[in-house]
Amino acid sequence: MMEQWLESAPSWSNIALFFGLGALLLAVVLAFVTYSILAERKVMGFMQGRIGPNQVGGRFGLLQTVADVLKLLLKEDTIPKAADRPLYVLAPVIAFAPSFMVLAVVPFTDAFRFADLGVGLLYYIAVSGLTIVGVITGGWASNNKYALLGGMRAAAQMISYEIPLVMSALGVVLLAGSMNLVDIVNAQQDVWFLFAQPLAFLIFLIAAVAELNRTPFDLPEAESELVAGFHVEYSGFRWAFFMLAEYVYMFAMAALITVLFLGGWHPVAFLGWIPGAVWFALKFCAVVFVFIWFRATFPRVRADQLMEFAWKVLLPLSLANIVLTAVVKAWFF
Amino acid sequence: MSGTDIAFFLLALAAIAGAVMMLQLTNVVHMVLSLVMTFLAIAGLYVLLSAEFVAVVQVLIYSGAITIIMLFAIMLTRHHADDKERQTTGGVGHKAAAAFAVLAFGLAVYAGIRTLDFGADGSALPADNAKAIGQWLYSYYTIPFEIVSVLLLVALIGAIVLAKKDGKGAEDE
Amino acid sequence: MSNIYANSYAIVFVFLCLGVLLPVGALTLGRWLRPHVPSEAKETTYESGNNPFHDSRIQFQVRYYLFALLFVIFDVETVFFYPWAVVYDQLGLFAFVEMVLFITLLALGLIYAWKKKVLRWM
Repeated sequence: MMEQWLESAPSWSNIALFFGLGALLLAVVLAFVTYSILAERKVMGFMQGRIGPNQVGGRFGLLQTVADVLKLLLKEDTIPKAADRPLYVLAPVIAFAPSFMVLAVVPFTDAFRFADLGVGLLYYIAVSGLTIVGVITGGWASNNKYALLGGMRAAAQMISYEIPLVMSALGVVLLAGSMNLVDIVNAQQDVWFLFAQPLAFLIFLIAAVAELNRTPFDLPEAESELVAGFHVEYSGFRWAFFMLAEYVYMFAMAALITVLFLGGWHPVAFLGWIPGAVWFALKFCAVVFVFIWFRATFPRVRADQLMEFAWKVLLPLSLANIVLTAVVKAWFF
Repeated sequence: MSGTDIAFFLLALAAIAGAVMMLQLTNVVHMVLSLVMTFLAIAGLYVLLSAEFVAVVQVLIYSGAITIIMLFAIMLTRHHADDKERQTTGGVGHKAAAAFAVLAFGLAVYAGIRTLDFGADGSALPADNAKAIGQWLYSYYTIPFEIVSVLLLVALIGAIVLAKKDGKGAEDE
Repeated sequence: MSNIYANSYAIVFVFLCLGVLLPVGALTLGRWLRPHVPSEAKETTYESGNNPFHDSRIQFQVRYYLFALLFVIFDVETVFFYPWAVVYDQLGLFAFVEMVLFITLLALGLIYAWKKKVLRWM
C-alpha cells in the first residue's frame, strides 16, 4: 500500500495524501497517549494496592484522561511578567514537534509505514535531540530558579544518556548492515536482536528510560526538590504540550525498541497466521508495560549516581559491545 | 517551478533569515535559537542535494550537540536578560555604504555563478549515502580517519586541561 | 532523486507541519475557551510562596559545560561509527583493525577524563 505511493512520482496530491495519513497517525498517537496515561494510573494503582481512577466514564474510568485534557484546555494561561515572552511561547512547540517527527520513520507493519529513509535510525536520534533545546529554552524563558535548574539538569541527563543509546544501537546496525528500520526488522526474520544483542538491549532499555525522563531517572521533574522541573511556570495547554511530548516519545521509544530488538511485526515461531499488526501491538504494549512497571518499582536515583552511571558503566559497556559484536560477526558468520 | 525549487527557495530564505536574526538580536539565547533555524534549513538543503547522511549529521551535531554546548556556555557566564546595551548603528552614510556593499557583493556572486558548471547533478549520487561514505572513508581515506581520531582525543584532553584549571580555582575558594 | 527518496522527505516535511500545527491550533482554539483574568499576583514568578528575589539567570558550574564537551566529542565519534557499521560486511578485517584503533583512542580519552575526575558529579 504505502510502498506503491512512495514509488509514485512526487506531486501535490501525494503530499495531501501523506498529510491525511499523518493526521490519522496523529489521532492514533493522541488516543494512545490518552489511554496510556489511564493504563499507567490503573497499573500503578494495582501494584500499589489502590483502585485508580474509577469515577469518570464507568467502572474503569475510561473517560478520566479525556476529562483531564478538557480541564487543561479550559484552564487560564498565565505568562509570568519576568518571563521571556517569545521564547516562553515557542518552547513547547520546539519540544513537541520533534516528538511527532520521529514517528515518520518507524515502520509499524509491512504495509503501514511512512518515510523509508536510508538513514532511519540516525534520523530518529538526531531529531529527538532537538527536544533538549526546547527543554532548556522553556526553563530559561520562564526566568524561574527551579525552572532553569530543572531545564539544565534535564539537558545534562539527556545528553549523557544519548551517547550509550546511540552506541548500543550500533550493535544492531552492525548485524543488520543497514540503518534503514525496515531492513533492520527484516534482518530479524529468524532471530530477534534481543537474543543476538542482549547486552545492547539492556543498555538501550536503560538509556531509553533515562531519555524519557521516567522513574528511576525522573530527576528533572523531581517534585520534592525542584517543584516540577523545567515547566514550573507553565500552565494549561502549554504545560500539556510538554507532557504530551513526553508521552509521544514514550510511544516512539516503545515502537523503536520493538523495531530494533523485538523483531517488529514478525510473528513468533509457528504463529504466523496472526497478522503482523497484532504482533507489533503486542510487543509494543509489553514494552510500555515494562516502562510503567519500572515506575512503580524503582526509587529515584541520586543526581551523582545518575550521571556517573551513564559515563562510567553504560558507555564503556556499549563500547565493549561494539568490539565484541564486530569480533563475533567477523569470525563466526 | 518545480517542488524542489520552491523547497530550495524557502529553505534558503530560512537559512538567511536565521543568520540575519542571529546578527540583529540582542539576547544571546535568542541568537542561539536563530542559529538553530539556520542549521536546520541547511540540513534541509542537504536533503535536496540527495545527501541525506550529511543532513542527518548536520541535525545531530549542529542543531543538537553544538547548540547545547553553546547554551551551556551561556549558562556558565553571567548573562542577564536586561543588559541590552545597544550599539550605535552609525549614520546615514554608514548605512548607505553597507547597502552598497551588500548589493555589490550580491552582483559579484551572481556574475560569478551565472555561467558556472557544477558538473553532474545530485541524481547521479548513490542512493545509499552511508554505505558509499563508509566504503570511501574506510578503504581510501584510512589515514585521515585515524588522524581525526587523534584530533578528537587531543580536543578532549585539551578541553579537560583548560576547564579543570578553572575547576581547581573554584574548589580552593 | 528517486521517487521513494523524494516522497519520504515530503513525509518528513508533512510530519514537521503537523507537529507544529497541533500545538499552534490547540492553543489558538483554547484562547476562545479559556478565561483570561490577569492579575499582579498571577504574573509573579513562582518561588514556593516567597517573593522572588534577585536574578534567576544564575551562573552554572563548569561541570555542566564539561559534560556538554564530552557529549559533543562522543557524538562526533558516533557519526564515524555508523557508516563503518553499515559497510563492515564488505570491508572485513581491515575495517575491524581501523575501528579497534579508533575505539582505543576513544577509550584513552574516556580514561583520561575519568582519572582527572571530570566524570564526577557532585
